[in-house]
Amino acid sequence: MDIKERLGKVKYDVDKEYAHITVDENICEKCPHHFCVMACPAQCYTLQDGKLVFQYEDCVECGTCSIACDQGSVTWHYPKAGKGVIYKYG
Amino acid sequence: MPDYDAIVVGAGNAGSAAAISMASKGLSVLLVDRSDPPGAKNLSGGVLWGNDLAQILPKWQSEAPLERFIDNKKIGFLTEKSSIVIDFKTEIFRENKVGYTVLRSKLDPWMAKKAKEAGATVIPGITVESLVIKDRTVVGVQESGDVITSNVVILAEGINPRLSIEAGLRGPLQDWEVSVGVKEIIKLSPQKIEDRFNLTPNSGMASEYIVGNMGDLNIGAFLYTNKDSISLGIVSPMEELRKNGVTHTYDIIETFKEHPSIAPLIEGGTVAEYGAHLIPEGGLDMVPQVYGNGYMIVGDAAGFAFSNGLVLQGMNYAILSGIVAGETAVEAKTRNDFTSKSLSAYEEKLQNTYVLKDLKTFKDIRKVTGNKNMYTVYPKMLEGILLEMLWERGQPKKKVRDILGSCATDLKMSRLKTMTDFYYIYRRM
Repeated sequence: MDIKERLGKVKYDVDKEYAHITVDENICEKCPHHFCVMACPAQCYTLQDGKLVFQYEDCVECGTCSIACDQGSVTWHYPKAGKGVIYKYG
Repeated sequence: MPDYDAIVVGAGNAGSAAAISMASKGLSVLLVDRSDPPGAKNLSGGVLWGNDLAQILPKWQSEAPLERFIDNKKIGFLTEKSSIVIDFKTEIFRENKVGYTVLRSKLDPWMAKKAKEAGATVIPGITVESLVIKDRTVVGVQESGDVITSNVVILAEGINPRLSIEAGLRGPLQDWEVSVGVKEIIKLSPQKIEDRFNLTPNSGMASEYIVGNMGDLNIGAFLYTNKDSISLGIVSPMEELRKNGVTHTYDIIETFKEHPSIAPLIEGGTVAEYGAHLIPEGGLDMVPQVYGNGYMIVGDAAGFAFSNGLVLQGMNYAILSGIVAGETAVEAKTRNDFTSKSLSAYEEKLQNTYVLKDLKTFKDIRKVTGNKNMYTVYPKMLEGILLEMLWERGQPKKKVRDILGSCATDLKMSRLKTMTDFYYIYRRM
């Protein structure tokens, strides 16, 4: 099963106004490994033409990227009240 | 006067247990969670072991939303083509109800409801933005500019503890402290589950696997039966993922699902949910200072979990640490002293429970779980031994000693290395 299809099974209340994770593109550009792409279980980090692209909408708030990134690019805050992933089973 | 005796941040097992134990003893308690309903961001493998909840909720076994009681525990090793499983099914588990499969999106709101019934104010859908610290004492929490104060703040934030990190109560998490857990809920009818796993309508099966067909990665996996679904997931140590560097965490679970002995178990099921969560696996070395002026840290946020590659427990440690923190707060209230010195009783009490005793006993367990041979060599060795013993090929038979020797040689392991490895695993496990 494709990861995109699996992410389609996750319920979210996406906060369109506020990104709870931000990345510093200047740092990502110089990153030697882009381990975030492998580590993130929700495919929020992808490489497109060698450039890191980040989107927070599919984030399941596990915090993996905040550890995976050892370059200081990822800033991680909790989403605003009630926003983000809502597990039906957990 | 502070607004509350205690503010609990996070309505997981640990937070709600703390709130119940304090509110039921008359403390004024505010329990906040950033999701609504409370606990909707929480995710576990899905077996609650033990009977710690009975301390605060004596009737939990009949009232809580539980899936199935475990009377069948399996421990397995997978190679590319084989599975070697110890299948332990016992009336002793059945009679004593030692563990239940649970779904956190049902269990956690129920526990939060129990906290409310015990007298706590429960507010879901509130994201605490920061701790309020005055004179090196945690005096409350801040949300959207509003400050709510309390004598003590109980941090039950979970394994991604942003508030504790930002307040400097603990450092940022490191690779060796966590594994990435990836899980799916696979819907299957109760009838299919009971037929396939040889269960009765309320009994369940919990299985854990050492996955030996993932190249150089140390991967653990689990498969549990719920009422009408299967909880299936994989556990990947962050250190290993980084060393490997070419494997997506979300692909590993697919490889596990496609294994010839796993695929038939979930055949015909539909994926109802996908999720991921970090798992504390650093043992005693990752436990931060768990108390200080005006605060205590409980559950995953404190690193309270146990793993030896074949057993993975966290909810019981969370609940017990929450209860102990709650009791400590009740005693601190009678002393009207919420300083670090007064709250140090929390750690002292934990020393006398399995929470800290286990972490101490198994302080070297990462040398076992981090032992690559456990994943890349020994499952294949077991497979080789069993093939040699059980596969009649018209060849002269060998003694076990010789089989072991030739299997070790095939896998480029010397007998001495194998024996010393077994000895170290035996010593630490």
